Amino acid sequence: MAAETNGAPEGAPAVQDGAKLAPTPANAPANAPANAANTEKLTAAQLKAKAKAEKAARRAQVKEAKASAATAPQAQDKGAAADGKGAKSKGKQDGQQTQGRGGQLQAHRPSVSGRRPSMPIVERDIRSGIPECFSHLPMAKRIPTSQAHKDVHPAVLAVGQQMATFALNDSIARLKATLLAFRKVIESYETPKGNSLSRHFVPHVLNPQIEYLTECRPMCFAMGNAIRLIKGNINKFDIDTAEDEAKEGLLEWIDFLINERITLAEYAIARNAAQSINEGDTILTYGHHRLVEKTLLEAKHDGKAFDATVIDDPYGCGGLELAKTLRQAGIPVSYSPNLGGLRPKVAAASNVFLGGEAIFANGSLHAPSGTADVAMAAMNAGVKVIVLCETINFDRDRVSVDSLTYNEIDPERNTADSFRLLFDNTHDRYITGVITEFESGGGNSPAQAILALLRKQEDPLID
Amino acid sequence: MAPSTSSHAPSLDNLIKSFNSQSLEASIESLIFLLKRRQVKGDECAKATAHILRQVVAKAKWRDVDELLSRVQSVGSRLVRSAPLEPVIGNVVRRVLGLIRDEANEDRNADDFGSEAASDIQSLTSSTTPHPLRPGPSPIRPSPSALSSGLPVSKSMFNLLSVKAPSASPVTGASTPLSQAQPASVHALRSEVMDGIEEILDEINQADDQIAGFSEIQIHPGDYVLAYQPSRTVERFLVKAASKRRFTVIIASLESPSPGSSESPYAALRKKLNAAGVNTINLASNGLMAYIPRVNKVIFSAKAVYQNGGLLVDSGSCVAAQAAREYLKPVIALCPVYKFCPEDPSDEVSRGELGSPGSYVSYANGPAVDALDIENTVTDYIPPDLVDVYLTNLGPQTRHHLASILADHYKIEDIGLSLQLGEP
Repeated sequence: MAAETNGAPEGAPAVQDGAKLAPTPANAPANAPANAANTEKLTAAQLKAKAKAEKAARRAQVKEAKASAATAPQAQDKGAAADGKGAKSKGKQDGQQTQGRGGQLQAHRPSVSGRRPSMPIVERDIRSGIPECFSHLPMAKRIPTSQAHKDVHPAVLAVGQQMATFALNDSIARLKATLLAFRKVIESYETPKGNSLSRHFVPHVLNPQIEYLTECRPMCFAMGNAIRLIKGNINKFDIDTAEDEAKEGLLEWIDFLINERITLAEYAIARNAAQSINEGDTILTYGHHRLVEKTLLEAKHDGKAFDATVIDDPYGCGGLELAKTLRQAGIPVSYSPNLGGLRPKVAAASNVFLGGEAIFANGSLHAPSGTADVAMAAMNAGVKVIVLCETINFDRDRVSVDSLTYNEIDPERNTADSFRLLFDNTHDRYITGVITEFESGGGNSPAQAILALLRKQEDPLID
Repeated sequence: MAPSTSSHAPSLDNLIKSFNSQSLEASIESLIFLLKRRQVKGDECAKATAHILRQVVAKAKWRDVDELLSRVQSVGSRLVRSAPLEPVIGNVVRRVLGLIRDEANEDRNADDFGSEAASDIQSLTSSTTPHPLRPGPSPIRPSPSALSSGLPVSKSMFNLLSVKAPSASPVTGASTPLSQAQPASVHALRSEVMDGIEEILDEINQADDQIAGFSEIQIHPGDYVLAYQPSRTVERFLVKAASKRRFTVIIASLESPSPGSSESPYAALRKKLNAAGVNTINLASNGLMAYIPRVNKVIFSAKAVYQNGGLLVDSGSCVAAQAAREYLKPVIALCPVYKFCPEDPSDEVSRGELGSPGSYVSYANGPAVDALDIENTVTDYIPPDLVDVYLTNLGPQTRHHLASILADHYKIEDIGLSLQLGEP
């Protein structure tokens, strides 16, 4: 209570700081040219969603600043907060490019976090409410920018905040934002005297960024893969490589990664998957996955007539957006707000398309909670289950046989009163095939084949 | 067309209270309206049906068994038609029909022997068996002739006998045999049947407690029990188990997470369980596969059990059962005997009933409301192979023995009830 009464006057100026600093144009123009290539057009709705997300994040920050105000020295706190806000305005640019697809997805998030104030305000340990049997699982956490490590780059700070608030949710959106933020880190990096980039950059500059991001939200598997690739790439530089040359090479390589593994992959997968849709099919999908949306729109664009059934998760309501998008494209859509009546709905479908967050080395799929139930029902009904997944999401080192090994707790629902895990694990026997960007028209591989697939393509992941 | 004069907030209790103040036909109409508006649903349907049939037996004009049977049948079929997705109504109607046939046979049998002694024996057997419909006594009670020769014989013989002086009512055990012919028999039959319906009502009321009595056997210390949309039956079961065992209850449901009313949905149950030292976790999740590895058994209650062992349940229970199957965790369905239907699930049942989508897609959301087919399924059908234990008030059963339960509780003549319903 004391913190609350003391905190109130502290909190108010912080908001004002934010408001004052947010429009600071210092960084924005500098970034603009670099971003121009990737920037996608923003709709008003996306901007609005964005603004909402930021507001929610700011509110949360203010709240946490309040809590820490009692202990932290005031001046330092303010200075750091100001830094954070500056970063935010800059980060906005980064976030937006990655949101082209994800923008609609996030729309529900702010409203959910808007409910947060109903929780106790003095919440010292956010993990204390987690039921014991799930306490081993990680959870995203909002770290006030003031408490972040001093070496964390402002762009990374912003990405971290967006991940913690789930403004960036989907694995590829997070990967892309991370890579773009790392670009900034590399651009602004200057090797100290007597050091070389290949020896100094990773331990002293990159690792603190990664630690911070992991603290904000456990890394997704795609980010893990990408970071391993980046590190491997940096280590390849000779000690004597000139700094400019090394930086140039790295930036180019990151652009290559984004192009090949994200942009082109998305295109190729949607293409391949669209070809597997036949005239008159009924395609069932669960939730809202960017690749599934692309695929269905692509197939429609090819002039195929088919129906879509969207089954939604009432706690993640992305499916409604997908249903509306598909409807606007002229696809007849039947929408189910929950898993009720799953069996007959699945049995009426000819194909089930699912998007994946990751695929483990044993072929099991890591995807939003509920995916496994849909896949299982489909397989039991004799309906094909097709998973769409970029190879950057493949995890070649880890094996998961149940959903409690690698998972995340929903930070909005982390107590015994209301508890939710974000993902579940679909056994590979419930997956007919996986479509990746390596597939050439029609043929897709079984889920267990991911290691072979990676090797076959002489992927840099296989050393 | 308002249900009745006295009740402004229509409910089953008000309706029962109003039985005495309004005509039979008005009561039936009120109940039909309640059923159609879903103001009476689920377990309440069984109670409501028994109550209204009791009124039919008490108030309707009938002179012989035949007429009574047809009265009950016609009222029953009206009720069933007004709520086609509440199979429990049909079950209770069948039970009452069976009861009437039994009582009629009994009368005849008692007289068949033609001696005071025989009727005494008869009265003895029936008075020592307070629940004439329990499987124990019932194989004895339906006389072989009734089963083999069916209804026509029994009724013609009843008529034949009723001309002569019939014996006193066996159940009441009245020591003075009434010498009047028809009216006495009708009178006795009426009171017997009403007693019988009273027993059915008792059975319905006690079923939850009787099922809860088996909780100790099913739930072990340290278990993680997934309770899917705990109904009153499941609540009783868990609370009873909590008085003996320490375990963890994971509550799952498909409740829509509408803002505002988002206070934890099963707060009362959780409070009770927590007070007994049982941990509870409320899942806010749709898919259940993620949690099943942690769970030891899945428990939910059935709305109805079909003769093939399939279950009609709240939507989403099927997801739970299916996930449990994947990890070979036992699935326990709590289903009182009165929920067993002597018929196969219809297509509508397996497709599921559609509910209002309003709680998921608001009418403010114009484009979505306009363009989308929104299907909010509120009931599920679970095929028999996903259920391990049917826990009835008579004890746990497997699906291989459901037929014997059905045979014990329903007369062959009445099984076709729903088929006759289509006619009018």
